[in-house]
Amino acid sequence: MSAPGEYVFKMPDLGEGTVEAEIVRWYAKPGDLVAEDQAIVEVMTDKASVEVPAPVSGRVLAITGSAGDKVAVGSALIVFQLLESADQASAAVPRAAPATQAAPAAQAAPAAQAAADAAGAAGAAAEFGTSSAVPAGGSAKRVMTSPANRRRAREAGVSLHTLVGSGPRGRILQSDIAAVIGDPASPEPRSSEPRSSDPQTTEIKVIGLRRLIAERMSEAKRTIPHFAYVEEVDVTELESLRSHLNAQHASAAAPLTYLPLVVLALARTLRAFPQCNVRYDAERGVLVRHLSVHVGIATQTPDGLKVPVVRDAGSRSVWDLAEAIRAVTDRARANKSSREELSGSTITVTSLGKLGGIVSTPVINAPEVAIIGLNKAVERPVVLHGAIAIRRIMNLSSSFDHRFVDGHDAAAMIQRLKAYLEHPASIFIADPTRGEA
Amino acid sequence: MAQMNMIQALNSAMDAMLQADPSVILMGEDIGYFGGVFRATEGLQRKHGEHRVIDTPIAEGAIIGAAIGMAVGGLRPVAEIQFADYIYPGFDQIVSELARLRYRSAGDFFAPVTIRTPCGGGIRGGQTHSQSPEGIFTHVSGIKVIMPSNPFDAKGLLITAIEDDDPVVFFEPKRLYNGPFDGDPNKAAIPWSTHPKGEVPEGIYRVPFGKADIVRSGSQVTIITYGTMVFVATLAAASLGVDAEIIDLRSLVPLDVDTICSSVKKTGRCVVAHEATRFSGFGAEILAIVQEECFWDLEAPIQRVAGWDTPYPHAFEWEYFPGPARVGAAIKAAMDPA
Repeated sequence: MSAPGEYVFKMPDLGEGTVEAEIVRWYAKPGDLVAEDQAIVEVMTDKASVEVPAPVSGRVLAITGSAGDKVAVGSALIVFQLLESADQASAAVPRAAPATQAAPAAQAAPAAQAAADAAGAAGAAAEFGTSSAVPAGGSAKRVMTSPANRRRAREAGVSLHTLVGSGPRGRILQSDIAAVIGDPASPEPRSSEPRSSDPQTTEIKVIGLRRLIAERMSEAKRTIPHFAYVEEVDVTELESLRSHLNAQHASAAAPLTYLPLVVLALARTLRAFPQCNVRYDAERGVLVRHLSVHVGIATQTPDGLKVPVVRDAGSRSVWDLAEAIRAVTDRARANKSSREELSGSTITVTSLGKLGGIVSTPVINAPEVAIIGLNKAVERPVVLHGAIAIRRIMNLSSSFDHRFVDGHDAAAMIQRLKAYLEHPASIFIADPTRGEA
Repeated sequence: MAQMNMIQALNSAMDAMLQADPSVILMGEDIGYFGGVFRATEGLQRKHGEHRVIDTPIAEGAIIGAAIGMAVGGLRPVAEIQFADYIYPGFDQIVSELARLRYRSAGDFFAPVTIRTPCGGGIRGGQTHSQSPEGIFTHVSGIKVIMPSNPFDAKGLLITAIEDDDPVVFFEPKRLYNGPFDGDPNKAAIPWSTHPKGEVPEGIYRVPFGKADIVRSGSQVTIITYGTMVFVATLAAASLGVDAEIIDLRSLVPLDVDTICSSVKKTGRCVVAHEATRFSGFGAEILAIVQEECFWDLEAPIQRVAGWDTPYPHAFEWEYFPGPARVGAAIKAAMDPA
């Protein structure tokens, strides 16, 4: 229920089947004035981070959750006080509040920035070291608690806005804070690891993307019986083709790497190995084979591993594919991927480029059933036609879900891929046995 | 050690100082031949002579003005103003002359004047015999303001006041003259002989200014008070079963800020109680200091108990007096703010 003039914005359904979303960061805090469509919070579902725009113009009265908290879809996320006129808006600019509790560090910087953008006065507050999380005036809902509790929360790095007070009129009591920061007198139920007494340690909360990565890696390794298969591929001719194409298209936005060529060969290979281009629906016990190959590109970003997806890789030209790969990975690194871009892959390719090493054992990007790893391409002496020759050799290190992909099929699939890569012209030549012309 | 009530303790202090220091003289209305309306100077004129224990006209401005002149001339006058309610005719002398003499003369002249005056209600005195004007004097720079709550402190503080080279206004809660009073007028009077602070040494001893007395140490709430309210607060806390730390300031100027703040920082809760009217009362200064010094340790808003902002009434004396019920309500508010 909302009071007159208030607007309660609920966590929207950010994609089919989303039941909750994790708060990544707030761009506004209670007391801030926001304009309609201004980004107010970044939330994350699956692996997509989404900036949620303010649905109305108004002043933020209350927010739910802080960075790392999961908020259920449909529950109140932000309470706005609607502004009736611009005059009121300027009058309602929050003044610098006297020392209030500091927001958690992760939240403080963008919040302070947003505040500085919204009102110079808030910037002044930051100058005085008072990260103003509570507006001074107006009818905004001030956190009710004692000065001593404000100090306790500040020292513990807890935002009082995230707490629900159990005292009279919703006032936050010492016991409410103790429940969050842990009462030294009572055991901490959530931590089994004894706190390190070494002063030279830094504690990093496992939240956000890192938590998601951790959960998904654990889940994949726990449920999928991986088996690895490594084969070496002679990429001398592939390298020759790559060099030629790059020389021919010197004006291209960026030179070709192996990746689009490998992805194209993989898409071609999978036509004959549909059991490897699959998403497993565990709930229904169904393997969903896909005709199109949607390739996940494992991408290192400042936040951690993301896997943006290039759709329908098999129907693209090599240049189109190169551009698509660059576009989705750039957006992933810039944290600008759409939710669609970060889901729906049917197989994943992981390449560490020059860091590729000789062998790796990649973890399958569930619910897919295979992942192809590219190791470093190096020139090696090999025996060719009875003589020692210098050839460029690259290993493919792949993992398969042994529940659904038999060793024979996996090996045959990699051998087919190897054949394409060693004779790169065949990637581009129709296969008459499959009715292609 | 002897058993003394507060009157006897004050009498003993003046007697001892008259004996010890020939420059000490007493002056006031009816203090000599009659021995004072509250008997505080009984027998002192007979013992020390008319030239040292002087009856004055009913003229407070003249009493204080004369005391200032004597003090500048080298004496240590102890002037009695019969009731604090009567001090106002002398107020200009106190504020404009007495308090400033040392400043105005750059230290060349000073005035070791002690002004004793009974204050407070609870004796059916009505509006002209019940006032607690200490806050008016704490606001004046240059004078010290003292209010004892028991015979032992009264004697020791009065000796410190007489020996002090600067002016002291010495308030005596008259309801405490004959015994501790906890604010319940229906109880039988308790004499000081039943109270440990009724034990008073015969000779000269001093209780220092600027040092509050922790009457009861406790952990849950700090009650800052002085005068009659010390006993009212003690009863109020005891009847609530609250482990209160009760601080008797004794010396309002200079103020023992350290004792106040270390106690509030310990308990996190604070109640200030005085008999004087609330608005601009001395309690406001205590609240301000606690807020300034102890803000981040406060668990609850600071509570204040005081007399109502009206003249002290005759007919509704016990409705006006901030008794144990009102102090108790403030303690509850500090312990469990709504």
